[in-house]
Amino acid sequence: MTPHRITDLAGFNTAREAGLAKLLPPRPRIAVGMGTCGSGNGAESVYHAFSDAIAGRGLGFALSRVGCFGCCAEEPLVNVWLPGKPLVILRRVQASDVPAILDDLAAGRVPEEIALAQIEEWDHITAHIKYGNGYPGIPSWDEVPFFKGQRKIVLRNCGLISPDDIEEYLAVGGYQGLYKVLMDGNPDAAIEQIKAAKLRGRGGAGYQTGIKWEMMRKARAERKFVICNADEGDPGAYMNRNEIESDPHALLEGMIIGGYVMGAEEGIIYVRAEYPLAVHRLQLAIEQARDYGILGDNVLGRGFRFHLQLVEGAGAFVCGEETALIRSLEGRAGRPTPRPPYPAESGLSGYPTTINNVETWYNVAPILVKGPAWFTETGSPKSPGTKVFSLVGKVQATGLVEMPLGTPLKTFIYDVGGGGIHGRNIKAVQTGGPSGGCIPQDMFDTPVDYETLAQIGSIMGSGGMVVMDEDNCMVDVARYFIEFTQSESCGKCVPCRVGLDKALYYLNKFTRGEATDRDLALLDELSRMVRDTSLCGLGQSAPNPVLTTMRHFMHEFEDHIRARRCRAGVCEELALSPCENSCPLHMNIPRYLQLLKEDRLEDAFLSVAIDNPLPASTGRVCQHPCENRCRRATRDESVNMREVHRYITDMAFELPGYAKLLERLAACRLPPTGKKIAVVGGGPTGLACAFYCALLGHEATIYDANPKAGGMLRYALPEYRLPKKVLDRELDIVWSVGVRFVGPVKVPGELSLNDLDAQYDAVFLAIGTWKESWVYLPGTELSGVRPALPFLEGVAKGETPALGSRVVVIGGGNAAIDSARTALRLGARVTIIYRRERKDMPAIPEETEAAEAEGAQIMFLAAPHRIVGNPDGGVQAIEVVKTRLGEYDASGRRRPVPTDEILRVECDSVILAVGETVDQDFAKASGLKITPKGLIEVNRYTLETSRPKFYAGGDLITGASNVSNAMGYGKKAARFMDEWLMGERRWERIFPVWEYDQTAPPRASASRRHVVTEIAPAERAQTFAEATRGLTAVEAMEEACRCLRCDVRNGHH
Amino acid sequence: MPNRVSIRLDGEYIRATRGQTILEAARANGKFIPSLCAMKGLHPVGACRLCVVEVAGVGRLLPACTTAVQDGMSVTTASEKLRHYRRMILELLFAERNHVCAVCVSNGHCELQALAKRLGVTSVRYPYAFPRLEADLTHPRYVLDHNRCILCTRCVRVCSDVEGAYVWDIGARGVQSRLVCELNVPWGQSENCTSCGKCVQACPTGALAEKGFAAEEMTKRLEPIARLASSRGGRI
Amino acid sequence: MSKARVATVWLDGCSGCHMSLLDIDEAILALAKKADLVYGPLVDAQEFPEEVDITLVEGAVSSQDDLKLVQKIRRRTRLLVSLGDCAVTANVPSLRNSLRPHDLLQTMYVHRVDADPSLPGDGAPPLLRRAVPVHEVVPVDLHLPGCPPKPDAILLVLGEALEGRRPELAGKVVFG
Repeated sequence: MTPHRITDLAGFNTAREAGLAKLLPPRPRIAVGMGTCGSGNGAESVYHAFSDAIAGRGLGFALSRVGCFGCCAEEPLVNVWLPGKPLVILRRVQASDVPAILDDLAAGRVPEEIALAQIEEWDHITAHIKYGNGYPGIPSWDEVPFFKGQRKIVLRNCGLISPDDIEEYLAVGGYQGLYKVLMDGNPDAAIEQIKAAKLRGRGGAGYQTGIKWEMMRKARAERKFVICNADEGDPGAYMNRNEIESDPHALLEGMIIGGYVMGAEEGIIYVRAEYPLAVHRLQLAIEQARDYGILGDNVLGRGFRFHLQLVEGAGAFVCGEETALIRSLEGRAGRPTPRPPYPAESGLSGYPTTINNVETWYNVAPILVKGPAWFTETGSPKSPGTKVFSLVGKVQATGLVEMPLGTPLKTFIYDVGGGGIHGRNIKAVQTGGPSGGCIPQDMFDTPVDYETLAQIGSIMGSGGMVVMDEDNCMVDVARYFIEFTQSESCGKCVPCRVGLDKALYYLNKFTRGEATDRDLALLDELSRMVRDTSLCGLGQSAPNPVLTTMRHFMHEFEDHIRARRCRAGVCEELALSPCENSCPLHMNIPRYLQLLKEDRLEDAFLSVAIDNPLPASTGRVCQHPCENRCRRATRDESVNMREVHRYITDMAFELPGYAKLLERLAACRLPPTGKKIAVVGGGPTGLACAFYCALLGHEATIYDANPKAGGMLRYALPEYRLPKKVLDRELDIVWSVGVRFVGPVKVPGELSLNDLDAQYDAVFLAIGTWKESWVYLPGTELSGVRPALPFLEGVAKGETPALGSRVVVIGGGNAAIDSARTALRLGARVTIIYRRERKDMPAIPEETEAAEAEGAQIMFLAAPHRIVGNPDGGVQAIEVVKTRLGEYDASGRRRPVPTDEILRVECDSVILAVGETVDQDFAKASGLKITPKGLIEVNRYTLETSRPKFYAGGDLITGASNVSNAMGYGKKAARFMDEWLMGERRWERIFPVWEYDQTAPPRASASRRHVVTEIAPAERAQTFAEATRGLTAVEAMEEACRCLRCDVRNGHH
Repeated sequence: MPNRVSIRLDGEYIRATRGQTILEAARANGKFIPSLCAMKGLHPVGACRLCVVEVAGVGRLLPACTTAVQDGMSVTTASEKLRHYRRMILELLFAERNHVCAVCVSNGHCELQALAKRLGVTSVRYPYAFPRLEADLTHPRYVLDHNRCILCTRCVRVCSDVEGAYVWDIGARGVQSRLVCELNVPWGQSENCTSCGKCVQACPTGALAEKGFAAEEMTKRLEPIARLASSRGGRI
Repeated sequence: MSKARVATVWLDGCSGCHMSLLDIDEAILALAKKADLVYGPLVDAQEFPEEVDITLVEGAVSSQDDLKLVQKIRRRTRLLVSLGDCAVTANVPSLRNSLRPHDLLQTMYVHRVDADPSLPGDGAPPLLRRAVPVHEVVPVDLHLPGCPPKPDAILLVLGEALEGRRPELAGKVVFG
């Protein structure tokens, strides 16, 4: 590149033509995305592989380095271009891919299988580049979900031109804005344009740039400074780094224009020293601009003098605050000073100074070239234009996204980001870095602009957007950000220096489970004080993460205080391991796995049974939340914990000493207390509660409407999932500790709540949800329409209902799948109709797959429309409306929207499995407080109802749930009833202590998870015999060995 | 422009001079606004935040020591919220370091202690940090005891603005901030210190004291510094 | 009317606050008509009694024994008053807080002792890591700072509390 000084339009155009010839050469061109992000993912070696191969094979292709196109999740990105064809962006290119790519290009092809997108033409705002047409098989860039809806103004050149070549910048209309402004020679008019565009400071505060510039222009002084604040320091934010690395000249252009219109001859870029690549490229850009006469004593030959200097900041976060930044430039410690005086009056060394963020400068040239009216077309009326966000955290597609201001949060998270990873539920998004706040998922309709974010307690900040899901503890998130600001506080003012330190003290107390309600109040009061009284923006905004998490996630703070639980499993001191933490029964899972591993089956069984009195049932039908959290899944697959405790239990049943084992269990009982507890409902909730009440030394009696105990386990779960003889065998565990069962007896009815009140010291209500929800649907009165629960109960009791040959099941939960598989076994052909997608089904995925293997058809995205009757009053067919996926709803799933398409499915029976509810007659008759949803209202920590002495748990307080959740409530109720009855905490005393190995496995070599053996579908669908065979002894042992022992703590080594 | 303005302070009209801060105007009129870092004769820094006041029409609290008066301004100096916040700030100062008043040379003559009494502090709601801090005894005449320093920077400013010796500065940051002598050398090794003692007199607590005094014996005199500063054209 | 039950306790402090209490001079006679002193260094009771109306706690919480006693006092007392700076701020006892208890004992009982240097043995209550104010371990109803608090202030507190009123001390006492 021979520099030629530009002094007139001809010179300008010559340089421009030279650049265009490089961008669109008459031969194939390869450009490797080499921002820090790309290089970190191996782009350096990709570049060198291309370079060597092109030279080695004498291909004569053009090769260059470009910045980043923004799609971080797909790095390294490589652009390939064949003359006359679209530019194609290749994703995840490795050095080993290079020979094949070159083969393709040499043959006039592009490797479509690794293509992310193609660009036929590109709007550089200041210019328009036409690459060409073709490649019907590759999506256009704006069809890729990640880019859809993005509007690239700031990032107009990023990833497309070489940051190291000023001519390429000139080729895409660079320095045209500067040229125009200098030619016009009317700085006031230029400032008017910035004002009319309503450009607002992109550093976060959102102050009107034009007004700031006007103030500066009016200031009279012998020296004036324009400064670019490139001291980007928010955790998770890297948009400025990428902008500079990809397109440094756009920053220079903005600053030179700013200098000219404000009357400043000196510019300073204050950039973090931790951004070496950005520093390097800026230095190069400044040198080139000098060589081309764009910086210096005679800018573009128009007689304007402007010099630009680069200063590297040492990385103190507070230096992002403008007065601290100025102090730092003056060579003093970076501590803010009070405003006024504002920098526009007295800034660097006392001279008028304007400081703008990197992104603000990037918007200057486009506004001046295209005009303010063009600019205000994008974005919202009060906040026009776009903003670049770094979308990071728990979304599938991370990266830099430039969106119009005012775009709702959900567009960022679900459309651009593609929603949660591994199907996890997204909980919140944190905007604005450590000065910002957390916005909960139910507020994702919020448009992202300065005012709206401020109203809900957050800020736009520099544009960081950290997405959090159910694995993030919001208390820990608040603690993390306060730890950051506490260590970055400059220490000048007392509230920020000492206040944040004390706030961190309280937050640490929360994460250790040691905090009290008083600490919560002190933290709240302290946060407000720090916010209201601190000297600078750092202290004033530092409490935002605490205040917003307290506002939107108070229940998590309360969990940490009252239940000493961290639901997300982040706060280590509050959880043994992720599996234990997510288990509603809080089973010590690593312990039984280890005991089995040590070949101590009896101990393993006792460990399981003392934690979970129905281990054989839960071993078969639990929803296994433990496995969703298992850390082994990050290595290969989660440990099959559920099936191991099924194995342990099934083996223990067969031991000759089983009765002796139960005696050992009964020996854990505390001495009799003389207290009597009634448990209403003999399902899993009631059984668990009674078991623990008995262990605590109380007399526990279960009342149930059925003749036998088990509830839904016995009367709703089909035999092929849970054989009744297994249930009977395991109930001995509950009986062994002295629980009494009385049934059938109706409560209330044969026995009133008042009777129980009179006869017992405490009463636990756990009658579950036996009422099937009904849907309004024409035709439900027909004789072949039946609700799922009575159907399953009938079959469980030995009835054979006449279903006919074709059955339709409506619903997507476990009851729907159970009904379908039961109907199959009764000889019917079965179709399941579900209104959402497969991934939205609440049923256990393995069950759904098993049903399909057995021949059930599933029709997704279909909602029942009406049931068509036959002349006999029976069912003839069902009509369903096809649905399509609409907007995201509050649950983070896309709402099904009906279409015009109606399908007809011929059938003889319809089974409705759309959910179960609490029997409202019972709820009303109980005289207890009811929630708006018709559930019994309880204190969520102690399970006390509105009536003294009465506790409630299970489905009665949650609505239909699952067996382990239900049992968890029973277990918890026992603990709190005991505490209330005895006036002290005795819970821990019933659990024996086992000595076992406390070392973590040295390494985890990859090993597949063992699963149960399924009986062949054709065979099992004929019979109600159990459909799976449990793990073998070897499999169970190997599975136990796969545990990574997250429960082992440092110090045990 | 008239040089005199009038402002309302807690409902009462007072006269002030253009260019004065709210704090200066209040003091000139015998009105009390608590502060620790502000000192007559030194440029204000707005660090202790005790002097924050409410100004009608302004959404946030403003420090009286750095906010200039404006004609017609209406200022509230002691709302319930302000009193509450000020007590919290004082308590934070007490909790930050080891102010064991009973054995302090300035006990009974300490501005921090006097403000605590005046603002009604009877205990500290925050946990005491009890940091391990040194006392610098290397200077022949004076002592620097970090245990009692509240980082108000009066010593820093009196040394630079009035004495012109630039001995003191603040090192490190956040709760780790410490008063440092020159480039963090023991005071006794200072090359610039003139041993004038202005920093000792300016110190509101017992952090800087003269040697040879026992508990409760050290009193400070601020008036001469203010006179000296004004004679050199400093702020009044 | 039955008399109120008042206790005083001396934790890690110099007993100066108790001296100040005695300095209320003849006013004690009037108090004696309204209250019985049921526990403290000034009376002979061995075990802290149940159902105490007012307890004045002097001294910082410095040892395991202090901690247990003050927790018991909290359970058995209606109005718990931190009496004096050691109870309110940990004051002089907190001067040792930057040292680990073991190092502290080594220094005081071994290194700086000529005759028979040895660490305190059985019977000496183990020190807490730090001497802390009373309200850092149990909730305190009223703080009466001062080193020692003035007799007038003590009299005010007792007088008001015995009348069932909550004494207002803000601005009347020196803090720190």
